[in-house]
Amino acid sequence: MKLRPSAAWLLAVTILAAAIVLARPGASYSHQDRAEPLAAASTLHPAGTDALGRDRLTRVAAALLLSLVGATAAAAVTTLAAAGVGTLAAFAPASIGWPAMLLCDVFLALPWMFLLLMVRSALPLTTSPANSAAITFLVLAALGWPACARAVYRGALSLKRSAWMLHAHAAGLRGRQIVRYVLPNLIPLLLPQFLICVPTFVIAEANLGALGLGIGEPLPSWGGMLLELDNSAMLLQTRWVYFPVALLIAVLLLLEAVAVEA
Amino acid sequence: MRNSIRLCAFALAILAAAPAKTCLAQAAPRMPGELAWTIGYDPKTFDPAIVDDQESEQVRYLTAGVLLRFNRLTQKVEPELAETWSVSANGRTLTFRLRLGLQFSDGSSLTARDAAWSIRRVLLPSTHAPVAEEFVSPGEVTVETPDARTVIVHLPKRVVGIGKVFDEIAIEPAGRPSQGRITSGPFFVSDYHRSLYVRLRRNPHFYARDAAGVELPYASGVRLDVLENPEQEIRLFLRGAYDVIDDLPPDYFELLRRKDPSTVRDLGPSLNTEQMWFNQAPDAPIPAWEKAWFRNRAFRIAVSQAVHRADLARIAYEGHATPAYSFISPANSIWYNRSLSAPHTDVAAAKAELAAAGFHLSGSVLEDAAGHTVKFSILTNAGNAARLKMATLIQQDLAALGMQVTVVTMDFPALVERLMHTQDYEACLLGLENVDPDPNTMMNIWLSSSPNHQWDPSEKEPATAWEAEIDRLMNEQAGALMSSERKQAVDRVQQIVADQQPFIYLVYPNVLVAVSPRLQGVQPAVLEPALTWNVEDLRLREAR
Amino acid sequence: MTAGAAVLQWLGRTIAIVLLVMAGSTVLVRFAPGYLSDAREMDARYADAAHAELSQEAARSRSLPHMLSAEISGWARGDAGISREYGVPVSALILPRLAVTGGLLLRSILLAWTLALSASLLTTAGRNPSPFWQTPATLLLAIPTAAMATLCLLANSGGPVLVMALLLAARDFKFLHRALRTAWLDPHVLQARAQGLRARQVLRAHVLPAIAPQLAALASLSIMTALSAIVPVEVIFDVPGLGQLAWNAALNRDLPVLLAVTMIMALAVVIGGMTPDRPPEWKSV
Repeated sequence: MKLRPSAAWLLAVTILAAAIVLARPGASYSHQDRAEPLAAASTLHPAGTDALGRDRLTRVAAALLLSLVGATAAAAVTTLAAAGVGTLAAFAPASIGWPAMLLCDVFLALPWMFLLLMVRSALPLTTSPANSAAITFLVLAALGWPACARAVYRGALSLKRSAWMLHAHAAGLRGRQIVRYVLPNLIPLLLPQFLICVPTFVIAEANLGALGLGIGEPLPSWGGMLLELDNSAMLLQTRWVYFPVALLIAVLLLLEAVAVEA
Repeated sequence: MRNSIRLCAFALAILAAAPAKTCLAQAAPRMPGELAWTIGYDPKTFDPAIVDDQESEQVRYLTAGVLLRFNRLTQKVEPELAETWSVSANGRTLTFRLRLGLQFSDGSSLTARDAAWSIRRVLLPSTHAPVAEEFVSPGEVTVETPDARTVIVHLPKRVVGIGKVFDEIAIEPAGRPSQGRITSGPFFVSDYHRSLYVRLRRNPHFYARDAAGVELPYASGVRLDVLENPEQEIRLFLRGAYDVIDDLPPDYFELLRRKDPSTVRDLGPSLNTEQMWFNQAPDAPIPAWEKAWFRNRAFRIAVSQAVHRADLARIAYEGHATPAYSFISPANSIWYNRSLSAPHTDVAAAKAELAAAGFHLSGSVLEDAAGHTVKFSILTNAGNAARLKMATLIQQDLAALGMQVTVVTMDFPALVERLMHTQDYEACLLGLENVDPDPNTMMNIWLSSSPNHQWDPSEKEPATAWEAEIDRLMNEQAGALMSSERKQAVDRVQQIVADQQPFIYLVYPNVLVAVSPRLQGVQPAVLEPALTWNVEDLRLREAR
Repeated sequence: MTAGAAVLQWLGRTIAIVLLVMAGSTVLVRFAPGYLSDAREMDARYADAAHAELSQEAARSRSLPHMLSAEISGWARGDAGISREYGVPVSALILPRLAVTGGLLLRSILLAWTLALSASLLTTAGRNPSPFWQTPATLLLAIPTAAMATLCLLANSGGPVLVMALLLAARDFKFLHRALRTAWLDPHVLQARAQGLRARQVLRAHVLPAIAPQLAALASLSIMTALSAIVPVEVIFDVPGLGQLAWNAALNRDLPVLLAVTMIMALAVVIGGMTPDRPPEWKSV
């Protein structure tokens, strides 16, 4: 498809633009212009300011780089983990597959919020915002895989029983060789999972802020900016609160276009 | 393809029907003449004697008949079921004379026997009534009833502001506690659906009449909907489903003001304070040098001077707060110390103060005399937008001194565990709610032996000379006979606190309320319940 | 394997999961910070009552086996224990809410599936479907659930079912669209189309059976997503359901209530994973 290279270019341009916005002289994502909280767009603040008078454009740019990298990496890890566990459980003997899927189900039903609280209490309170961000995305990746692993397991199971697999076995292909053909067939299941995980993790990171995890102030968090949308008082004050979500949608669409392999 | 078109049409039909379904769930239709507002969660109990949470307290306020009522507007104690009352010269004997012909909501008569039984019940240790503590040694209090209309209470020791305590003691039928179903107050509990609503019905036998002789309360009942989300509450209020909102967050206040400016009122500073403090507990699991900073008066003064309180009020509260320098709010006109001298915003002075105490800048980073980087965290509770904004503003204010501050939010139980049990924190930003203007109710914060002595809750004896002086002054005001002596002692405590800054007071949030234009008789007060304290006088204007 | 053995195996698995979830949740909640503290400790008026309750709870929760046996005996009694927050049997809290949440989940999942299936059928057919069909789904995924609910409130239309359904439909659409597209481009389907088979017949005979196993996977995924979205939706729309109860129980460390809710969740997970691999009606066309 012709769309794919142009989407890749656009994505690169967006990231570059964000880097330029951040690197431009005088740009600070944390400086509070206290005379102008929630200001409208001006030459000084092209996208206005947030509730504390910080430049919205710079914050969005920084959040784009930070959250996008974090969420994409976490989504990739969790999708790969799900693929690994799911295919292993499907193709391994039942003595491994059965407990693996049982564990998966147990994992899905446990109240993880309390584990996150424990993680927070194990970290020192003065953990820097950047470290806290890294830990948060790591935790998200570690907790995100079971739901997808189950879907992969089912997909892999039906592949295992499919006609071409029978052919492959009959033709004398060994287990390791077969796996090589299985993974590409799981992509229709894995790719959407990956694409869904990216925005979910961006938002989940912000929700973890309530537990003392997440990206701490003054570092900007994309999820935090999205959460501004759930306060109707804020929505009526400035239209610029919609800017981060619009940009997120654009980036996700581009990601999607890049990820299209058909 | 036709399949999918049919599916699509079906889906669209459901979608079209979905908005028509009420997204704004409302618990029950309003009965004629019924008032309605919200409570944040299910009341834990309807037994007026063991109330220990805010929403239960609200139900008690609306249903309980009490001997004396503390008028929230005039801040004076007034007789309610008692026609008259008196305190003996030594302050140890209280005599109440009941009104003639009092009845409970079920029509049975209310006599001194019922009043004495109710008072004795809250004093019994087995009842676990929180109010019992106000009598200092409840076990030694005796109650007698010389005749059917007189109740005499003997105290072992004089208690400051004893009249107000009777505002919290509901008079119930002797031997028949009823969980608010039979009351002597303006309303009684008629209906409770867990997680939906509490419905109160008018007590037809309530004693009070208005000037024209009309029986009070005017309203036929009150419905309290259990509703947590302010968004929903505001929407339902705008539709006329609720008559009042107290305790509006500043951003929603502005939202409502934009939609209908006639409904909202800013009543000015409340009695509540928002403050920040450093952990001074000697056993706290934080490095020794940090404890040394936090116990250093110059360090605390410098932090206090660096904080731009006017910015906090203007930005974090959208102007609906007042900069604070003391634990007593200017709204508390009797006890506020007008001649207080407290450290005001002055960054240069703060830097000088730090330099004099041995702190120095290394690059842009502040270090103490031993070379430790000044770096700490401010803890606050999650879900309070104004507090998070204040903490972030303070973060930048302190960066101007070279201090590196991280802001951490936590859910309340986890936060309280750190504050009260493990003491594993450096600084904390929280608020304190004051329901009573009398500083005597703040004893458990200022006495060094109290567990609510936040900066060092574990201490048994005062650790410093100034804490010892506060202890002495607080005990002095509690036992003083003359109100001028009390005032003097409390003024001095305010000055010591301003000099030492164990709590760095930030703002007094304003009381922000909304009142439906249909509701008549509202006289907003700063004290809780701000809008419904005179509930018997409230009524809805007749429908047009 | 006979039907009886299969049922036995399923039962054994379910019981194992429920017990493991019970033990795991108890450990997580008990050792999370704040189990033995209470916001009321900070309020001078209520501090004493809070301390009394906490010391009772501390005595009760001293040993894990003791806690677990207390929980199990609560379940054996039939009331699932006594709520720490409200002091009433957990069953009295849960039962009225179960119907509310169940209805909400069922209606939103049905609506979501109808939406997602019809949308993906519409968008995958044709030679070269436009990628812009993805936009609505991506848009719905990028907005936090809470924000979507607030926007509904602001617009005075739509309710919890709509928000849940849109969210689920967006996710399901992503999967279905891709699965359908892959099936649509299969060589034998291409040939069938080239030979002039009508689209409806192609769908019925070839495309739907090809994606059927993934539909089962999708079902369990939808339930998972719905369970995680139910909390913000119920909290914001103030629906008196299990999500709202679970949220309050988590904030108050109300272990008996949390356990009951997680066990219901575990059952939902097990049942969600139980859907048949291949719906029988698609076998013969």
